[in-house]
Amino acid sequence: MQASFTLTREPAAAGSLRLRLGGALTLRDGARLWRDLGAAVRGHGDVEVDLAAVDRLEGGAAALLAATAMQHAERGGVLRYTGAQGDAARLLELYDCGRGDPCERSQPRQPGLLSDIGTFAHTAVGTTRAILAFVGDLVVGVVQAVRRPRTVHLGDLGVLIERAGTDGMPIVLLINFLVGAILGLQGAIQLHRFGGDPFLANLVGLSVVRELGPLMTAILVTGRSGAAYAAELGTMTVNEEVDALRTLGQDPQRFLVFPRVLTLVLVVPVLTLLGDLIGSLGGLAIAVTYLDQPSIVYLQAMQLAVGLGDVGTGLLKSVAFAIAIGLIACQRGLSTSGGAVGVGRATTSAVVVVLFTLVALDAVFTWIFTLLDW
Amino acid sequence: MARVLAVRDLSVGYDDDPVLEEIAFDVQRGQVFAVLGGSGSGKSTLLRTLIGLQQPLHGRVHFTGIGTPAQAMAPPQFGVVFQSAALFGSSTLLQNVLLPLQKWTDLPPAAATAVAMGRLRLVGLERFAHHLPSEVSGGMKKRAGIARALALDPPMLFLDEPSAGLDPVTSAELDELILTLARRLGVTIVLVTHELPTILHVADQCILLDRGVRGIIARGAPRDLAERSTDARVQAFFHRQTSRLA
Repeated sequence: MQASFTLTREPAAAGSLRLRLGGALTLRDGARLWRDLGAAVRGHGDVEVDLAAVDRLEGGAAALLAATAMQHAERGGVLRYTGAQGDAARLLELYDCGRGDPCERSQPRQPGLLSDIGTFAHTAVGTTRAILAFVGDLVVGVVQAVRRPRTVHLGDLGVLIERAGTDGMPIVLLINFLVGAILGLQGAIQLHRFGGDPFLANLVGLSVVRELGPLMTAILVTGRSGAAYAAELGTMTVNEEVDALRTLGQDPQRFLVFPRVLTLVLVVPVLTLLGDLIGSLGGLAIAVTYLDQPSIVYLQAMQLAVGLGDVGTGLLKSVAFAIAIGLIACQRGLSTSGGAVGVGRATTSAVVVVLFTLVALDAVFTWIFTLLDW
Repeated sequence: MARVLAVRDLSVGYDDDPVLEEIAFDVQRGQVFAVLGGSGSGKSTLLRTLIGLQQPLHGRVHFTGIGTPAQAMAPPQFGVVFQSAALFGSSTLLQNVLLPLQKWTDLPPAAATAVAMGRLRLVGLERFAHHLPSEVSGGMKKRAGIARALALDPPMLFLDEPSAGLDPVTSAELDELILTLARRLGVTIVLVTHELPTILHVADQCILLDRGVRGIIARGAPRDLAERSTDARVQAFFHRQTSRLA
């Protein structure tokens, strides 16, 4: 495609270069203007570019002319634009790097690996401290709530329980059933080789009730409700709704956090119980279909293997998981800053921190229960 | 002066519920044209219709010589600066301005960056090129929004409430920038506002919308309307009188 401008070389004194630009200098031909003018002036010291024949100059092209002059100056040369008239002269003046402060080079901030590691460590410490302070605030809030129950906002509790519990039940049941079935299948294959078919109920029952049921349920609740709480409270924070609450004399802890934590404390153990049940049924399905075991045999074996204490340890874990999910998700949400990006960051952070905490808590509980022989 | 925008028999609103009915006006090339009106008068709905984000209920919007709005396959023929600036929060100011250049020009990266930095320099934000929107003030965001809207050298700019939420000094600086764009770069500007100092300082022509009549109740130069109009609603708007006093 023909360029709408011309660039010609004119006679000049020795050691200097004189160019003449003519026609229309537009952004459409910007790439060619940048390339041709840059190539023409490269290697020359004193360069004059006559713009008298330019009949149209767009702002984008003016910016390119200014940037070319700046680049030439950085190489030790001098590039002057002369002869510009009317609108072209006004535009050149607006984009001129000599106007006011000199034009700055584009240098994005690149902190480097060491700085990244330092920032990560600093953020991790700050996040931990903020979560602990938040827990302290909540404990104080709970004490005050017990003293004055009417100050706690429980109006949304029903809706929150429906969203976290009823709405989340199908996916919790499905995943726990599949986990029980997968565990059952893998266990059945190994046990069958050693004639240990009757012990499938022990394997699946204890694993699901003590470990996998509470953990998988908590992970799913984190993905559904934890992420939702962080995003919801994060959006409220960046929209100054949380500040508005404070100005109305409402404590965000009691108005927003307490109902959500309470919701999870009520809902997660119930979901865990249902998850335990359906996960064990997943094992039953494998026992019946893969090992041709009568269902009564599997159920009787499970009755013998899994005691109320096992269910109790799982439920104890689920309560701790619920508190961790609620606290961390709400804390991350309420510490959001920076608009839509901040909300995304807070949600991601909430899910990651909660998942890490769940696994760490699970390990601690398992260790304690082993020590206590529970 | 050549006409650049003609609005004829235009009705705008939502679901056959018109906010404005059968309005008509022209915008001339190089003009600063203000759309005025109180809250709920349909200013923003009109703006959304003019820039093609909303279909009119009736009538037409005709641009002369700069293409038509919302042509997905062609570069945008005008720039739009939204009330909140609507910068992309995960991108720096420079990356925000680079976005249309990367999409619609064949400039090599260095040249595109030079153009984007030029735009930021024009609005006085070159030093903040690598800052995120969350790291700059509200006035800077507005100016960065203008730089992004100017990226492709559009002959026309639409600005929605440019001074809203800004302090008087920053607001005055923005007014000067608008005047620079119009007087020195020759950009036609349509601005939607109800900020009286901005209207009186920068606008060449204006229309005043009214919720009650669902249309234009006055048109002309803002100072003329403020000083000579005998319409009580116009006087109330320009002299900040409440409806009870008007």
